[in-house]
Amino acid sequence: MIRPCLPWPHQVLRRPAAEVAEITPDVHAIWADMIDTMEAMPGYGLAAVQIGVPLRLAVVDCSTGRGQAVLMANPVVLHASIQLRPHDEASPNLPGVSATIERPRAVTVQFLNAQGALEERDFVELWATSVQHQIDHLAGKMYFDHLSAMKRSMLIAKAGKLGRRG
Amino acid sequence: MIHPVLRWPDARLTQVAKPACVDPQTLTLARDMLATMYDAKGRGLAAPQIGVLTRVFVMDAAWKTGDPVPEVFINPEILWRSPQVALGPEGCLSIPGVTVDVMRHSALVLQWQMEDGSTQAQKLTGFRAICAQHEIDHLNGVVTLDHLATDARAAALAVLG
Repeated sequence: MIRPCLPWPHQVLRRPAAEVAEITPDVHAIWADMIDTMEAMPGYGLAAVQIGVPLRLAVVDCSTGRGQAVLMANPVVLHASIQLRPHDEASPNLPGVSATIERPRAVTVQFLNAQGALEERDFVELWATSVQHQIDHLAGKMYFDHLSAMKRSMLIAKAGKLGRRG
Repeated sequence: MIHPVLRWPDARLTQVAKPACVDPQTLTLARDMLATMYDAKGRGLAAPQIGVLTRVFVMDAAWKTGDPVPEVFINPEILWRSPQVALGPEGCLSIPGVTVDVMRHSALVLQWQMEDGSTQAQKLTGFRAICAQHEIDHLNGVVTLDHLATDARAAALAVLG
């Protein structure tokens, strides 16, 4: 089921999400909705807080043909490359604007997988960008929180104007 | 290599298949299964149907109406089933000439291993969701007939002769 994305600055988007204790059928149902919502955009990933679920759940799919989602609970970055990669990032929670963010080009992420086991996985390029973007969401952080105060407020003001016009 | 497709009631179609290793042997098996599936004019085939009790199935939901889209599913696992179910007719390469109505979940989240060993998940809907459930049944030693009530099963078996 496709779920609506909360409009920023909704409180759920600005608070750290709660750890998931175990992978239950409810968690699988939330992941299923997250895949639907990600596909509907279509996007490269989604964090549960974006659809109003305050749990540390994320999905990432940067495959060219799509349909290769990685499902994660409680993801954390264990290692990050020194080399950075710029990407023009955006969010369905603040539509109409985007900004180029530089993040580590490669990361090793530890998470609870769909079987409830701890897994470590390496992500590079776009996959690494997306997984870091989602992990930020789960910490109550948006991509534009990486911008300078001036650039950040200009971006939010622009989104506000677009919202009023729309 | 094209293999003969086992016919029900072969005993190998009633056994639970074992987890697969992602190794050259399994990749060869997958290639053979796709060749066998296309040769048999099917859209899905599970390894037990060619007598290999390993958790692998192949599918091509598109080739009968468009370009081929061969897919290989190693160690598939259904993570989520939609509450919505639907009854629909299904045939089976191992039970030729018999079409029976089977109740299936309309959508699934399926996780499996790719040919490079990585694990991925996908939401399956429509024919692909139904086909995946049919093939995973094979990996668990279940065929379409096992979903039928006694009288419907008897009627289907009468067709089989």
